[in-house]
Amino acid sequence: MSTPLGAYEGIVRPAVLRQLRQLGEKLAGTRVVHVNSTREGGGVAEILEWMVPIMRELGLDASWEVIDGNAGFFEVTKAIHNGLQGANVAIPLKGWKTYEDVNAKNFDRLRPILEEADIVFIHDPQPAHLLRLCTGRKGKWIWRAHIDISRPFRPVWKALRSMVEPYDASIFSMAQYAQPLPHPQFLVPPSIDPLSEKNRDLPPAEIEAVRSEYGLDPSRPLLVQISRFDRFKDPVGVIAAYHMVRKVAPVQLVLAGGGATDDPEGKAVLEDVMEAAGSDPDIHVLLLPPDSHKTVNALQRLATIILQKSTREGFGLTVTEGMWKGKPVIGGDVGGIRLQVVNHETGFLVNTPEGAAHRIRYLLSHQDGIDRMGATAKEFVRENFLLTRHIREYLTLMLVTLRDIKANTINV
Amino acid sequence: MTPFEVKDCALLTRMSGLPPAFNLRELRERIAVCGENVLFHHFCETTLRGSFDNPDYRNDFAVWSKLYLEDRVLAERLGIMDPYAFPSLGELRAATLEVIDERLGESTTIPWARPGDEFFFMEATTVVFDTGIRISHPRELAASIGAMTGGSLYFHFLEARRRPPFGKDDFTAWLFENNVGQQNDPYVEALARIDFDFHTLPHLRKELVKVLSELEETK
Repeated sequence: MSTPLGAYEGIVRPAVLRQLRQLGEKLAGTRVVHVNSTREGGGVAEILEWMVPIMRELGLDASWEVIDGNAGFFEVTKAIHNGLQGANVAIPLKGWKTYEDVNAKNFDRLRPILEEADIVFIHDPQPAHLLRLCTGRKGKWIWRAHIDISRPFRPVWKALRSMVEPYDASIFSMAQYAQPLPHPQFLVPPSIDPLSEKNRDLPPAEIEAVRSEYGLDPSRPLLVQISRFDRFKDPVGVIAAYHMVRKVAPVQLVLAGGGATDDPEGKAVLEDVMEAAGSDPDIHVLLLPPDSHKTVNALQRLATIILQKSTREGFGLTVTEGMWKGKPVIGGDVGGIRLQVVNHETGFLVNTPEGAAHRIRYLLSHQDGIDRMGATAKEFVRENFLLTRHIREYLTLMLVTLRDIKANTINV
Repeated sequence: MTPFEVKDCALLTRMSGLPPAFNLRELRERIAVCGENVLFHHFCETTLRGSFDNPDYRNDFAVWSKLYLEDRVLAERLGIMDPYAFPSLGELRAATLEVIDERLGESTTIPWARPGDEFFFMEATTVVFDTGIRISHPRELAASIGAMTGGSLYFHFLEARRRPPFGKDDFTAWLFENNVGQQNDPYVEALARIDFDFHTLPHLRKELVKVLSELEETK
């Protein structure tokens, strides 16, 4: 169910919502089509679930189309996805043929709406081939890359690049993710929804229920890292930091995440984590189902300090979520964590388990620092990383694209 | 009194197309040839962008020099540069290059950033629109500014300094235009006391509201 814009009153300043409504007025009636490959599950669907209804509420004629595909198609697109992120994958010509055929079949169904649209957003590589097929298009086409393609496996990028180059513009989450392309490349970072199950305010009883469920001691500090069991999230390094802190402070640690069961690499990491945790009753390794949003929310609210000790990271939305709960974050000095965590302001950036332990001990002995950094972190997210900023940038992008894509200033 | 028209703006950042800089010499080469929009973005538009405002320096070149080239001397010299004090972006560019050249001359080695820490050159488009809100008297300024978006504040109090009348924010220009019998002088003086370079937009809003409210209270 979609949330009306008015529900965000009180979370953001009234001027923020007024600004969105005024930008929306400038785009009233604009026919906007978003195309991706799934209606449910995954970050893109989560974004479109709130973005499309808000665009409609703002007066745009927005719709969301999903391409259908068979198992063969999704095998190929998974390989493309991995290849764009640097994995050495071989995609045979037959695979590319499947990719193009499925796009063509979907195009037959979507042709009228795509041809008539003023703006088409194509999300990720799966439907990227649609542009080549839509020779009768009238509007502007924008490719939205949600993933990091900074170091792709070249043969895969070379093939996809030829499909992406004719777009009018593309969007990346961070400058570090982009590849040189012959059209404007806009930068729109992701965001969180403060009213989603993962981020909404929780009644104390619901938070306490989670504390009881996992046997967490309310009288002792709690360190929490939420992330899938992946080597780049360095859960073993987090346990090493915990051991260093435990010598001087009675802390508890929660490592909570999912995604290990069907992933051989994840399984191996989880085994290493369990071995490192040993029989310590104060280390809680929680393998959560993908829909455990409320549990994650409560754990972040129970935390004294949020950890995200990644050695490689995308934007790091778990950092944003932790900061929204008013907690300081100790994060790896990588990726988008750097855009959010600033030493002594919203938390600390660290490079080693020793660095993490040092900063945890510092914070535990400076409660005022925990409170101050947590408050700063929450306000920083309110200003920069809520969905209201995200929708503003999409509206701005549409105005720019429809008026003058290379202008420095546009008066509307 | 002519009403003050409250505008708003929204910023959209994009890659400039210049290759990233890995070391100080490359930074110099790119700054020498980049568009003025790129220079303006890294010096002035940083306050409107979604990243934590660096507590030490306001422009991206100073921040990069400190964090990734680990050259604190250069960071300090670049960090004190006030982009609004230069009559043109060409002069701002020349002054920036002068600082970098001086540092290159002093250094025995060229400072490098680690892979992944390179400087990405960006630029932005600003979409400006009329909010329909009007301020008809200086005593309304505090409340109006308190209710503004960061975009409005940036447009009227910071970006305005690059538009004619050069060096003046829009509020001050409006107060001057309507300064019958010097009645607006206290407002002008109050605004002039704010060292805007050291405030994030939310802090700047608070500071403006504070000084203007104090002025009303003393009347």
